[in-house]
Amino acid sequence: MTQIQTDASRNGQVGSEPMIIAENVEKWYDNNFHVLRGVSLTVQKGEVVVVMGPSGSGKSTFIRTFNALESYQKGRILIDGIHLSTDLKNIDTIRREVGMVFQQFNLFPHLTVQQNVMLAPIWVRRWTKARAEEKALQLLERVGILEQAKKFPGQLSGGQQQRVAIARALAMEPRIMLFDEPTSALDPEMVREVLDVMRTLASSGMTMVCVTHEVGFAREVADRVVLMADGLLIEEATPEEFFNNPKEERSQKFLSQIL
Amino acid sequence: MTTTSPPSFSTRPDVAQIGAIAWVRKHLFSGWFNSLVTVVLGSLLIRSIVGFIGWATTTAQWKVIPENLPLYFVGQFPPDQYWRIWALLWMISALSGLTWGNLSQNVPHLFSRTVLIWVGILAVIFVLAPTPLPYRLLLLATLGLVLGGAWAGRYLSQSLPSFGLGLAIAWGLSFFIMLWLMAGGFGLKPVSTTAWGGLLLTLFMSVVSIVLCFPLGVALALGRQSTLPVVRLLSTVYIEVVRGVPLIALLFIGAVMLPFFLPGNVRLDLVLRAIFGLTLFSAAYLAENVRGGLQSIPRGQAEASSALGLNTPLTLGLIVLPQALKVAIPSIVGQFISLVQDTTLVSIIGLSDLMRISRAVLANPLYIGRYAEVYLFIGVIFWVLCYAMSWGSRQLEARLKTTN
Ligand SMILES: Nc1ncnc2c1ncn2[C@@H]1O[C@H](COP(=O)(O)OP(=O)(O)O)[C@@H](O)[C@H]1O
Ligand SMILES: [Mg+2]
Repeated sequence: MTQIQTDASRNGQVGSEPMIIAENVEKWYDNNFHVLRGVSLTVQKGEVVVVMGPSGSGKSTFIRTFNALESYQKGRILIDGIHLSTDLKNIDTIRREVGMVFQQFNLFPHLTVQQNVMLAPIWVRRWTKARAEEKALQLLERVGILEQAKKFPGQLSGGQQQRVAIARALAMEPRIMLFDEPTSALDPEMVREVLDVMRTLASSGMTMVCVTHEVGFAREVADRVVLMADGLLIEEATPEEFFNNPKEERSQKFLSQIL
Repeated sequence: MTTTSPPSFSTRPDVAQIGAIAWVRKHLFSGWFNSLVTVVLGSLLIRSIVGFIGWATTTAQWKVIPENLPLYFVGQFPPDQYWRIWALLWMISALSGLTWGNLSQNVPHLFSRTVLIWVGILAVIFVLAPTPLPYRLLLLATLGLVLGGAWAGRYLSQSLPSFGLGLAIAWGLSFFIMLWLMAGGFGLKPVSTTAWGGLLLTLFMSVVSIVLCFPLGVALALGRQSTLPVVRLLSTVYIEVVRGVPLIALLFIGAVMLPFFLPGNVRLDLVLRAIFGLTLFSAAYLAENVRGGLQSIPRGQAEASSALGLNTPLTLGLIVLPQALKVAIPSIVGQFISLVQDTTLVSIIGLSDLMRISRAVLANPLYIGRYAEVYLFIGVIFWVLCYAMSWGSRQLEARLKTTN
């Protein structure tokens, strides 16, 4: 890889190896609501892409097609070179490679924090319990929740829960991480602890697609910002360009509402 | 100083605001209407209690109970084989104790004050029970077995990680040991199912029907939510048809019509046919309870599980069902309680459950007219059974709670 690193904070490399290719993806809900109207996006290995846009514009739907939580009817999606179709085997393979963090955390409330993190490696990757436990504790330490490993999610604060959710996704050693508004359900004082974890993750070279309205995070961490509106991808630019000098009228209007 | 200090400065509350008097005032005599209701209902209640105690101590002839005790408990089970029933009781007691201990491994006090009080009450009842001394000792031993089992179960689950699994296997095995002890064979004297009766039969039918209807009910609930139209339709039709038919009709279908559907040489035992009817009936209701639980689990749970790469069966088995069943514990246990009570209907198809035993006792010229005593007695037995189940369900819920 010959590319020169421009951002000193990132030791991961943004190469020209596409991890996500979405081509003209179209989706209808219930056969009548045209929620994605031909969206294309390519994400390179190690790249961090922030997706912004007004509520209801299809951001969640779009990134959820990357791990087949949503189907799509037209277009093509390749994840790490694997075609995402209705082929169940491909879906299983892709879901192992793609981690996802949800707005509502979606931790499993009947399992302890540690069991939440160990579950998928044991049942999907078929790791031994010992190996999964080692990995889980290592990840929980990394997100700063090691002391809470034996607690249940319901006994943790929102910020802690979201960090557990990140650890849970990372336990599968994914090559891509998707974040769907990971801080939107948090009290303001807890937003930072989650963004810090995401920042560290980005600097470790993880390929990330984040739906978020955290402008500070986008400016600092994102390689690219894209704006979606009404099921279309309106603008795609570097953070500096996007925030200082947006080209599209929709972007200007959106930024004037959130800044 | 002649000025009065404001009332809020007073450091002692009025007597009327504390203690029992205040409580009575606040809850029973706030306003004339409440006072009236309290007086009317209170005097009715006191009259009934006085009347009942009067009857129970003078008119009632309780000897109809102790003189027929074996009949109520085990029906016509051969007396020389009673030890098998004791063995059965002890096996279940020990396993229950161990399970209780296992579920309580993270609770600070295994024997809370309430539990100790109940144990004390039970012990007193056992000591004073109107049966020969050996039986009373055996009953006390049973109680000891439960308590010792609880203690051992807690200790073992804390030291042996796979103890829970072993316990589950032991419960599975205990079912076959139960069948063996009750029916005989394999070295034991065979006992025909027609000799089973009383509480033994009631419990046997209840337990077997519960064990069988549970998986069937869960399967039906999942079937009703299935994305496969045929499965969904079949489950829905089954549930709605069975819920529209009275249990008594199903029991008759099991007892009278089932033989017509089977090849001529197969003769199903009457007990088995009753269990068949009870199971099919309860499963339909259970399915609706489980469905309620399933619907209460947010979609995000299954999504998070899928996103981690777990396939549908794993998602159901590890994420959705455990949570759904936990939510549905109260209604599931409610259904089980109804099932226990519904077993009384099998007397109509000729089985000697508690209800029919009672009628047989009452038909004995010695005990003419002793309806009240006998029915009160079996009423108390059923109440104890059902109350124990609902208490157990509340304990289980508390043990499984995972939030503050
Ligand atoms: N399961 C669904 N069925 C029908 N419509 C849906 C469903 N999920 C989302 N939508 C609609 O699709 C649109 C886009 O939703 P979403 O992708 O969640 O937007 P965003 O994440 O940008 O707020 C919204 O108008 C929403 O109401
Ligand atoms: Mg969204």
